[in-house]
Amino acid sequence: MKEVFSYVKPYKWTAFIALCLMLLELFVELAQPLIMAKIIDDGVRAQNEGMILQWGAVLLALSFVAFLAGIVNSYFSSHTAQSFSYDLRNALFEKIQSFTLATYQKFSTASLITRLTNDVTQVQTVLFMSLRIMLRAPLAVVGSIVMAFVVNAKLALCLVIGAPIIFVFLIFMVAKGVSYFGLVQKRIDRLNRVLQENLQAIRLVKAYLRGAYEASRFDEVASRLKIDTVKALRTMEYIMPVLLFVMNMSLLAVLWFGTKQIAAGTTPLGDIVAIVNYAMRMTGSFSMFAFIIIFYARAKASAERMAEVLSIENEIELPSSSEKTPKGMSFGELAFDHVSFTYPGGDSPVLSDVSFQVKSGEKLAIMGATGAGKSTLLQLIPRFYDVTEGKIVVERKDAQKWDLQELREIIGYVPQQSLLFTGSIADNVRWGDAEAEMDAVLQATMQAQIHASVEDFPNGYETRVGQKGVNLSGGQKQRLSIARALLRKGHILMLDDSTSALDVKTEQALWEALSEEQATMLVVTQKIRTAKGADRILLIDAGKVVAYGTHEELLRTSALYKKIAISQQEVEE
Amino acid sequence: MGFFQKPFGYEPILTQDDVKQAVKKKKGPRATDWKSTLLRLWKIVDEQRALLIIVLLLVMVSSILALLGPYLIGKMIDTYVMHGELAGLGKGIRLLIGIYALLAVSLFLQNYWMIGIAQQTIYRLRTSVLAHFQRLPIAFFDRRQHGELMSRMTNDIEAVSSTLNSSFIQVFSSVLTLTGTVIIMLSLSPLLTILTMTIIPIMFWAMRWITRRTAPLFKEQQVALGALNGMIEETISGQRIVKAFSQEERMKEEFREKSLRLKRTGFWAQTYSGYIPKVMNFLNNMSFTIVAGIGGVLAFYGHVSIGVIVIFTEYARQFTRPLNDLANQFNTVLSAIAGAERVFALLDEQPEEEAAFAQKHKLLGQVCFQHVYFKYEQEAEAYTLKDVNFNVEPGQTVALVGATGAGKTTILQLIARFYEVAKGEVLFDGVNVQQIARQALRSQMAFVLQDPFLFEASVRENIRYGRLDASDEEIEEAAKRANAHDFIMKLKNGYDTVLAADGREISQGQKQLLSIARALIADPKILLLDEATSSIDTVTELAIQEALDTLMQGRTSFVIAHRLNTVHNADIVLVMHKGELVEAGPQQKLIESGGIYAQMLQSSSYHLDE
Repeated sequence: MKEVFSYVKPYKWTAFIALCLMLLELFVELAQPLIMAKIIDDGVRAQNEGMILQWGAVLLALSFVAFLAGIVNSYFSSHTAQSFSYDLRNALFEKIQSFTLATYQKFSTASLITRLTNDVTQVQTVLFMSLRIMLRAPLAVVGSIVMAFVVNAKLALCLVIGAPIIFVFLIFMVAKGVSYFGLVQKRIDRLNRVLQENLQAIRLVKAYLRGAYEASRFDEVASRLKIDTVKALRTMEYIMPVLLFVMNMSLLAVLWFGTKQIAAGTTPLGDIVAIVNYAMRMTGSFSMFAFIIIFYARAKASAERMAEVLSIENEIELPSSSEKTPKGMSFGELAFDHVSFTYPGGDSPVLSDVSFQVKSGEKLAIMGATGAGKSTLLQLIPRFYDVTEGKIVVERKDAQKWDLQELREIIGYVPQQSLLFTGSIADNVRWGDAEAEMDAVLQATMQAQIHASVEDFPNGYETRVGQKGVNLSGGQKQRLSIARALLRKGHILMLDDSTSALDVKTEQALWEALSEEQATMLVVTQKIRTAKGADRILLIDAGKVVAYGTHEELLRTSALYKKIAISQQEVEE
Repeated sequence: MGFFQKPFGYEPILTQDDVKQAVKKKKGPRATDWKSTLLRLWKIVDEQRALLIIVLLLVMVSSILALLGPYLIGKMIDTYVMHGELAGLGKGIRLLIGIYALLAVSLFLQNYWMIGIAQQTIYRLRTSVLAHFQRLPIAFFDRRQHGELMSRMTNDIEAVSSTLNSSFIQVFSSVLTLTGTVIIMLSLSPLLTILTMTIIPIMFWAMRWITRRTAPLFKEQQVALGALNGMIEETISGQRIVKAFSQEERMKEEFREKSLRLKRTGFWAQTYSGYIPKVMNFLNNMSFTIVAGIGGVLAFYGHVSIGVIVIFTEYARQFTRPLNDLANQFNTVLSAIAGAERVFALLDEQPEEEAAFAQKHKLLGQVCFQHVYFKYEQEAEAYTLKDVNFNVEPGQTVALVGATGAGKTTILQLIARFYEVAKGEVLFDGVNVQQIARQALRSQMAFVLQDPFLFEASVRENIRYGRLDASDEEIEEAAKRANAHDFIMKLKNGYDTVLAADGREISQGQKQLLSIARALIADPKILLLDEATSSIDTVTELAIQEALDTLMQGRTSFVIAHRLNTVHNADIVLVMHKGELVEAGPQQKLIESGGIYAQMLQSSSYHLDE
């Protein structure tokens, strides 16, 4: 809670002004019964018409003051609340951007989405309300009690008798509320996740006619959410009736003892009227009070969830290394030195003792069976994950010592699954280099053999793609993501089986175009034909290097390689 | 006054015209929109009529009790307290204890049930949206961001939910309390009552001024929130790419922009809706002043008793409080409407139409395209498929080849009827696809998609997706045939390993193996394989080739693959080029004719093992 609410700090002055304005309003409200008493005692009872009018005018003036204060408060408190949530959202998003890929595993995408929107909204609402009405209710209660004490301490005592019980009760309820509402937010995470899966897999769902099945799966998470929400809300529902009842009992006590005092002649009637009036005001504030408790509990649950994200310290990427060694030397050189790797949370190594070297401008083909660790190997180079053992040397400098940003800037990565973002084709290619001129974009797309297809689209490079975009074929997506990587003009180009959806002719043209590239290339491929064109081939199996050398060498020395070649009818058996 | 126009540098969002338009629209379709939105919501709530009636009765009881309290206290002050009569007071207090206890119980019960009603409604709303999603055509999803749609199911529905929880009871009890209060006030002093009510027209005017601004702002706010949600979902799902291209800064920038838009609309919506309690408070104070001031004068001349004034000030408060609540509720209801409208907009999306004459049809496996034209968007000029004709007999294996973007996947998607043709006909056993119920059609097909998708569920459940009633043995059998069994056994918990959302534990190729196992278990009449083995190494591919061959036996199969040797068993090869079918026929014939296919084969180094 503290962590999250520290984001109010920059706005403490506007918050302070808002609170002052609210207090001003409150003051007016509290003064009213006092003035009323004056009207009754000094005016009506004392038969003084002038006093009645005078105090009436004061009442009127105060009302105006309160109104103005209220309206201005609206601006200040909503500015504070919105700025707070804006900063908080940004801070969360920035934190999330700095997560390592392993940290993402801790929170599902769906849960991060909930935290960034739903949870922020919960907390923001509470802040806004506390700057405006929430604090008002407790303050009104306290104020009413103070005023009641001023009027008649003995009678006022009746009003606070129940306070300790209520206090303990409320603390208990808040604790319960926080845990229940925390559960509710978790249920929203689940709901979001099933929903996201449904949207991503819509074709699969339709193809296998799993509409009803998915609906029932969703039904389950939705009804869990319902049950837990109902449980949380119903528990909180005890607060108001209990508070009201205790308060009303106090009111009756005031009447009883007040009448006793009147009978004894120690108290004027005006006092009792005033205290009864204050007591009724307190009652009125109490339903708001109950409301506050509920919101507070809910916000606290949300705040805790956000703090969970914000407090992650060790699992974020440190973008710049503390050690400022000179920039890497030897363009695009790369070496793996006895690298082993186990996924965080995994128990068996995915790569073990992998060593190889790629010279500047060389082309290395990486081959191996499905699940051998090829993609994992590539992902270690831009340090998506850090090696468990050994080291990766990029341009003669330990990858660990590289500035992360600089390291990634020299790498053009084409992932196995091409993923484009909502935006135009040009936007997507420019991911490689945001400042690239159109000429450079065109050069990249031509090299990636996608230019002609783009030109065929009615809107050309402005065609919208991504989630909200047109239907691109698998091959088109792959080539766009190759263009994106080429635009990077990195020193190392990594293609993770990124030509699988290309037809042979296009693929050939692509490789030809890529042969002019200066960059060191790492190509994961299934095709011997592609591997043949490489300077060296790294064959891995179950995370270990089983062969390393040229095509001819491997044909001679590696049985596995030969088997692969035979499977593709590249050599005679 | 400059502050109010551009406070803290917030640019105004609504122009004077917007507000005026909101006024005009109110008379037009807008007003009916509100009404119909509320009415639709009501229809869902209404299914719990019986419980609702009980709640309403309880609200009535508690409203009466709440009014009775101060009334009795006023009376007691006048008759007992003033004269210090303890005996009479004691009786009165006992009565009040009973009343307050009853009040507490009825308050609790009405909320208890109302929460149930509200959440049940929300639940129904949510599930009906998802059920509707399942009926919507694929084209609907093509153009929408996942996160945006998700926002409607959470953030928008949330707005409806919080309103339903409280507003219903509030509105009803406010109206009741208001009526009751006015009656009692009238009985006490008609003059003071009329004086108190002078604030109503002012209130009405003020509310109109405010809601004209908040209503459009609420809507805008939900839209901004949806856009933000969309961006978050995309960025986090694509985090690997964001990192690879070190686009974090740009993403943050973009996020800040969208976040700022939400902040701006949020600021104005909140500020304006913040007016409401303040205005009401002011009117509240005014009425207090009126009653106290003028009442004082009246009491002075002996027209009313002091007790009446004391009670009256309380009733004046009782009178403005429900008005205040109503005003606030009105605002909340507006925000709920903004959310509900977006949810209902989804429900209003046209589902995949099923022709009335569509029926179940047991497929034999013959597939025929007759002059099929197709484009993904109606506005698009160029067709993605142009005049495609072919005929496939039951049990035949068809290979689709051609450059990327030639329309191969599109053909498969039309066979599965993910989209409707623009012109021409797709026929199954001579029956137009539109005459076959989608359900029946797809239940006889299995589709292995280009991008394998796995659910965050166990490996077993992921395979079982192909046929829900498949036994564990059948699943293992399918996995073995798809060559997936070995790697599955190496996973932490074997078949019970729960796969992560991004499927990190297993490689792309392994995902494809699982997808194939999923299709193997489905036992379809028609099999559609779209690059089913693209990420699988060739040795494994050879190993599962046999399984695929058996799978294809006796079924009509359509196969897209770039490694031409994977399609060497095809009976028919369809060669696509820029949306047109340029060559079709048995493989051998195409090779002999020396056309495009023959050239493709030559350019590739793959040789056919004849």
